[in-house]
Amino acid sequence: MGFDFNSLLAFIIFGVTIGVVYGIVALGISLIYSGLDIVHFAHGEMYMFGAFFGLVLAHNVGVPYPVALIGAMILTAILGMAVERVFYRRLTRAGGGYTVAGMGMIICGFGMSVALVNAAYFFFGAEAEPFRANLDYIPRLTFPGDINVPESYVLTAIISVLLMTGLHYFLRHTKTGLAVRAVAHNKDIAYLMGINVPLMISLIFGLACGLAAAAGVLIGPMQSVQVEMGYLMLMKAFAAAVVGGFGSLPGAILGGIMVGIFENLGAAYISASHKDIYAFLLLILVLMFRPSGLFGVEAKVKA
Amino acid sequence: MLEIKGVHAGYGNLKILRGIDMKVQTGGIVALLGGNGTGKSTLLKAISGLIPLMEGEVTFDGVSVSKLKPHERMRLGLVQVTQAKEAYPAMTVEENLVLGAYTRKDREATKADLQKVYDFFPVLRERRKQLSGTLSGGEVQMLVIGRGLMASPKMLMLDEPSAALAPKVVLEIFANINRIAKSGVTILVVEQNVRMALILAQYGYIIRDGVIMMQGEAKELISDPAVKESFLGGSVSDTTKALRN
Repeated sequence: MGFDFNSLLAFIIFGVTIGVVYGIVALGISLIYSGLDIVHFAHGEMYMFGAFFGLVLAHNVGVPYPVALIGAMILTAILGMAVERVFYRRLTRAGGGYTVAGMGMIICGFGMSVALVNAAYFFFGAEAEPFRANLDYIPRLTFPGDINVPESYVLTAIISVLLMTGLHYFLRHTKTGLAVRAVAHNKDIAYLMGINVPLMISLIFGLACGLAAAAGVLIGPMQSVQVEMGYLMLMKAFAAAVVGGFGSLPGAILGGIMVGIFENLGAAYISASHKDIYAFLLLILVLMFRPSGLFGVEAKVKA
Repeated sequence: MLEIKGVHAGYGNLKILRGIDMKVQTGGIVALLGGNGTGKSTLLKAISGLIPLMEGEVTFDGVSVSKLKPHERMRLGLVQVTQAKEAYPAMTVEENLVLGAYTRKDREATKADLQKVYDFFPVLRERRKQLSGTLSGGEVQMLVIGRGLMASPKMLMLDEPSAALAPKVVLEIFANINRIAKSGVTILVVEQNVRMALILAQYGYIIRDGVIMMQGEAKELISDPAVKESFLGGSVSDTTKALRN
């Protein structure tokens, strides 16, 4: 069997597309990390809830897919902000991520993850549901060498680029974005600048959860939607964030793409039944040679 | 303009300030002096609202601000200039300055003020696209003062503007503070550099172990033997004697 260059290219294209989705979830994890100095362990569940909200909107309410995407993002953002406001804020008020309260915060995140999974079982049931989306208006891309890229992958690529550009513009070129970056760097100084810090933290949470929801709705048509989907996504996104350098936003995206490619190539050329191992193999390799991640900065210069 | 009555404050169960009374009149410069760990910074945090009061009251411009959050106090015109190391190193000089005007809605006046700050500190205009992490110590100090001015403050509180700067740069910074005061902004300056601060200010408070140990006109304080003894060092001949022994 000779080496087939075309299929290699195909694996890379699919890897990049899936990787960008990992990257979007990792972006949210990184945003929350830079805003609150905590790793949000219930973020996979935000992704799962986002997928279900999108599914309900598309199937039961019957809105078109793009509207379902936006609706799911908004609903999940509200859910995320509510969770932050009711549960996390008491803990973050007692101190940041490097204090004892920060440890409590991590455990609270795990608990929230379990609680949300069970709430999802209650509301959405245990069955995996296919996400049927009408995407006929999206062109199916054909690359030379008979590589067909399905509509859902093309759409994922487009939406991801839009989301990332939007986030970049928001953080770099708007006053509120500047305030978010200020809060991410140092909350006390942000207060002295007259910034309403708790409000900004809510906003960071809402943004991050909205991004996770977008990832969920994008993955929906490729795989199916089920309650346990968040766990693996959290792990992959976490790997992506660490590979890219924790707290770095471009790093999160590039880390996600690397995880996606690595995973697809591993599944294709080594063993498809161990697909989920490769992300962590990459994680271990990167941490062995560059403990701060590929794009991480040594000092705490964030956002 | 600012009145502090019987303020007790600290961190958690640790009480640092034990009954502070202080007054800052409108216009002019007041210095708050003391060594390391005497409660200067804690008092500043209590005034700006970063830590809650355990007891007592802070009144600004006739309004009690004891219960207000830091960003609400700042909106009243009570602006704290942070220590120089607390610029945002990953933001450009201009972004830092714009952040200072975060609460303001008057866009045109804000733009004009940005130009004013650049006229005041021309070096900031030269460096406006640079990340503030790349500035020298004196330049960062100018940046945080400029950032405070961008809020169009009624009163500016400065936290050790001379810290870690060369004497020549300190002189320049203090001359700038004097110019700001002349333009009608009331100033409270917290300093360890007692001699320089007393030359700059009209009135001084000396804090020790969380209480005001001494207060008075700056001119009187600087010639007070007790102040000389504990803060300004002995006379030159004493120092020479000590070196010889």
